[in-house]
Amino acid sequence: MQQNIRNFSIIAHIDHGKSTLADRFIQVCGGLSDREMSAQVLDSMDLEQERGITIKAQAVSLDFTSSSGEVYHLNFIDTPGHVDFSYEVSRSLSACEGALLVVDASQGVEAQSVANCYTAIEQDLEVLPVLNKIDLPAADPERVVDEIEEIIGIDAHDAIHVSAKTGIGINEVLEQIVERIPPPTGDANAAARALIIDSWFDAYVGVITLVRVIEGRIERRDKIRIMSTGRDYQADDVGVFTPKRLKREALSAGEVGYIICGIKEIEAARVGDTITLAREAASEPLPGFKQVQPRVFAGLYPIEADDYENFREALQKLRLNDAALHFEPETSSALGFGFRCGFLGMLHMEICQERLEREYDLDLISTAPTVVYEIADTRGEISYIDNPSDLPPVNVIDEIREPIILANILVPQDYVGDVIKLCVEKRGVQLNLQYLGRQVQLSYELPLSEVVLDFFDRLKSCSKGYASFEYEFKRFQASDLVKVDILINGDKVDALASIIHRARSLTRGRELAERMKEIIPRQMFEVAVQAAIGSHIISRSTIKALRKNVTAKCYGGDVSRKRKLLEKQKAGKRRMKQVGKVEIPQEAFLAVLQVDRG
Amino acid sequence: MSKGRTFRELPPLGLYVHLPWCVRKCPYCDFNSHEAPEEVPEAAYVDALLGDLADDMPLVWGRSLSSVFIGGGTPSLFSAEALDRLLSGVRALTALSPGTEITMEANPGTMDASRFSEYRAIGINRLSIGVQSLDDRALQSLGRIHDAKDARRAVDVARKAGFDNLNLDLMYGLPDQSLDAARDDLAAVIELEPTHLSCYELTLEPNTRFAAFPPDLPADDTRFDMQAAHFDALSAAGFERYEVSAFARDGQRCEHNLNYWAFGDYLGIGAGAHGKLSFADSGDIRRLSKQRHPKRYLEAANASARLAQERTLPLADTGLEFMMNALRLTDGVPSGWFEQRTGLSLAPWHEAIQRSVEDGLMQKDPQRLAATDRGLDLLNTLLERFMPEATGPVRPVFPLKPVT
Repeated sequence: MQQNIRNFSIIAHIDHGKSTLADRFIQVCGGLSDREMSAQVLDSMDLEQERGITIKAQAVSLDFTSSSGEVYHLNFIDTPGHVDFSYEVSRSLSACEGALLVVDASQGVEAQSVANCYTAIEQDLEVLPVLNKIDLPAADPERVVDEIEEIIGIDAHDAIHVSAKTGIGINEVLEQIVERIPPPTGDANAAARALIIDSWFDAYVGVITLVRVIEGRIERRDKIRIMSTGRDYQADDVGVFTPKRLKREALSAGEVGYIICGIKEIEAARVGDTITLAREAASEPLPGFKQVQPRVFAGLYPIEADDYENFREALQKLRLNDAALHFEPETSSALGFGFRCGFLGMLHMEICQERLEREYDLDLISTAPTVVYEIADTRGEISYIDNPSDLPPVNVIDEIREPIILANILVPQDYVGDVIKLCVEKRGVQLNLQYLGRQVQLSYELPLSEVVLDFFDRLKSCSKGYASFEYEFKRFQASDLVKVDILINGDKVDALASIIHRARSLTRGRELAERMKEIIPRQMFEVAVQAAIGSHIISRSTIKALRKNVTAKCYGGDVSRKRKLLEKQKAGKRRMKQVGKVEIPQEAFLAVLQVDRG
Repeated sequence: MSKGRTFRELPPLGLYVHLPWCVRKCPYCDFNSHEAPEEVPEAAYVDALLGDLADDMPLVWGRSLSSVFIGGGTPSLFSAEALDRLLSGVRALTALSPGTEITMEANPGTMDASRFSEYRAIGINRLSIGVQSLDDRALQSLGRIHDAKDARRAVDVARKAGFDNLNLDLMYGLPDQSLDAARDDLAAVIELEPTHLSCYELTLEPNTRFAAFPPDLPADDTRFDMQAAHFDALSAAGFERYEVSAFARDGQRCEHNLNYWAFGDYLGIGAGAHGKLSFADSGDIRRLSKQRHPKRYLEAANASARLAQERTLPLADTGLEFMMNALRLTDGVPSGWFEQRTGLSLAPWHEAIQRSVEDGLMQKDPQRLAATDRGLDLLNTLLERFMPEATGPVRPVFPLKPVT
């Protein structure tokens, strides 16, 4: 049987048509009836469908009858395309023997695909290039083939021409998968070892784990053991996704499927852990995954203090589902009790906040994201801070070091000038510039804090959306950084502090105070907004007191309308946090992201 | 039986009569008004009003009326004859003592003014004229069908007809109005020597033409300066501000409106009219409204067809609705009225009141519930503190023995 299994992933940039292609596979192999095929079935989270992106890895098992008449069992593991979620990609790839590199035949190769493709090659996967959207008038397959060969360096002359939208080439791709991707190896008779690729919490059945069985066999009703904890559970249900959940009697070496075993405790089935059998346990766990390091940190606080416990629970559940999310309790004098959360990037942060609010019905305020700084103090000790307000007094700091990343940017020639200008503005140091066909590959060292700010948005806007980039952490590097505080009516608001390069600190501080003035609505009293570096006030602005807020006419008529007005007014304040006596809207805490534009 | 409210006595009862037609709908108006047909069906409408009132009477048996207000729309589109029949009907059905305030609204047009002396003769003793402005350009921008000359003449005619209790409506913060223009406008209106002024800031209400096509209004700060200038000028002219937008000379306040603001009861008859009634036996407060559209109102054959909505005011909402009214009065109301008129204990509200006193939004007088001047300016902010979720659970007044 193992001979007829093929495990594969798709590597593609956002919008290059991966999800549509996956939907076609499901259709051709009859995984879902036409009635059940809603567009892009794999992106099952509301958020994914709304944004048209994949956030979580997913798996689908399909039966494909090849032209030789043989039935093959294809396991397709879907992967996210955004730079923030690259760790999910490497996890998905580790469950596969092959990958399709899907490139938009009109747009060409993008940086994220390059990075993911290298991950696949490193993991010894067979990579099949596929040119999608071949039906578009702008499609230029020859040029894109050249690009693939030049930029990524794999042979692409036999790349399959596909249009996922119209269905051209779909069968050909499936045939090639069967022909070129090797079947899994792994002894079905050895002691069972299954790698947890993903796990998530389901309100009805508890934790569902998505596994790739590497060796041995796991049967329904087997007593299984989670190797890191040594705890045993009964496998109540095993099976595959078609993408509907389909029960099976067993999963054997080489197969990808789910195990439900009544795990209720949060964190009991972590991604990367190994599942074995209790009666015949494997001696060594599988290597698992490299722990992902969060790079961007922000404080998240419930608007209603009563929600704190629910918030903690929600984070724990989300964490089970999202190994990259880190959090620890934090107290802010301005915002009360909350958590400092670590994310992979800005999109990851946005998605987490949105999922917490939607799926767990919480109202949250987030502080501006910041990065981790390495602090060398005068006693020669090293510490790390992920919250600007934790910065020790200046006199005990010997050096502040900021994280530097290596960014690889791919951009069409026309926009190179603008992108370089942007990188310079963001304190970037150019390492390399290479012309690759129509595109240019730029390598820059950039401070991560600048990338966190608004780099991605700016990159997209200055290249009309064509530039793409991926990055990796390089090192900590000493830099002349200062903490800029914001004072509201004379009180420092810890959640508004930011760490800024000295050369920019004056301008940024002033802009920040001005932004506050625009964002914070008039209150019952005058509000002074100041920006300060240490004890030095660098800017002051005043928000004048609200003068009038009253309905001119009110008689015996329809009171419900007047009430609605009050309710609307009140609802507007739901997204505000009271700091001292001043009500500060969420945007204020993110204002540091919006200064310095243009 | 008890719904958790206890009334020791019932408040005064007013009667509101709505006449829904206007010659033309003004672009800022969000009242229930409709463009008049060629001939206003006044006889049929008066019949309907009297039927409406007769049907409502069982809800208020034994209670006398403290005031009557005929509003609109433009009531002066109705002939004195029709209104006479209406008032006679009202007197026949209810206890209406002589001297009771009976107000009607009127447009300052020539046609309307020609009827003023007749209106006075049938017993209407207070007239409210919708002057709005004495600046012809401003009147035009407000879509009014009269000019300043008409308005002046109307006031003159009203006074000669014997209306010594006379209200004029004035708006400020009009499209493109300057501070000086607003000042001059008010000075001109004061010169007409009304006994009462309703002085409003123009607000863009939803579902009006102005909301859809907003005109250029003066800046927030300018509008506030206009208010301040108006308050000074009115005070100098002997007008006392007794509500957010209401000013009276020689104590000639509007009884009918005072009853709204004191959370009193009222019957509402006519298209889209709202009523609010307290019931001693059940401890209920009920809000009723009638069919909005004149056509549907006229076609309604009986009480239930006429009724558009009837709802019992939830306990939790009562306190806010009381405050929404009472705190509009510059002197507020005696503290005891809260319990008397909501049937609920004031205790859960003490914290919010205390905080508002500290913040300078409410007067520090345990005998009264009243906003400060600042509190009146920021009334919506103040009221937010009295929204149901902001205060504790409500509870009825003790003891639980109702008095009818």
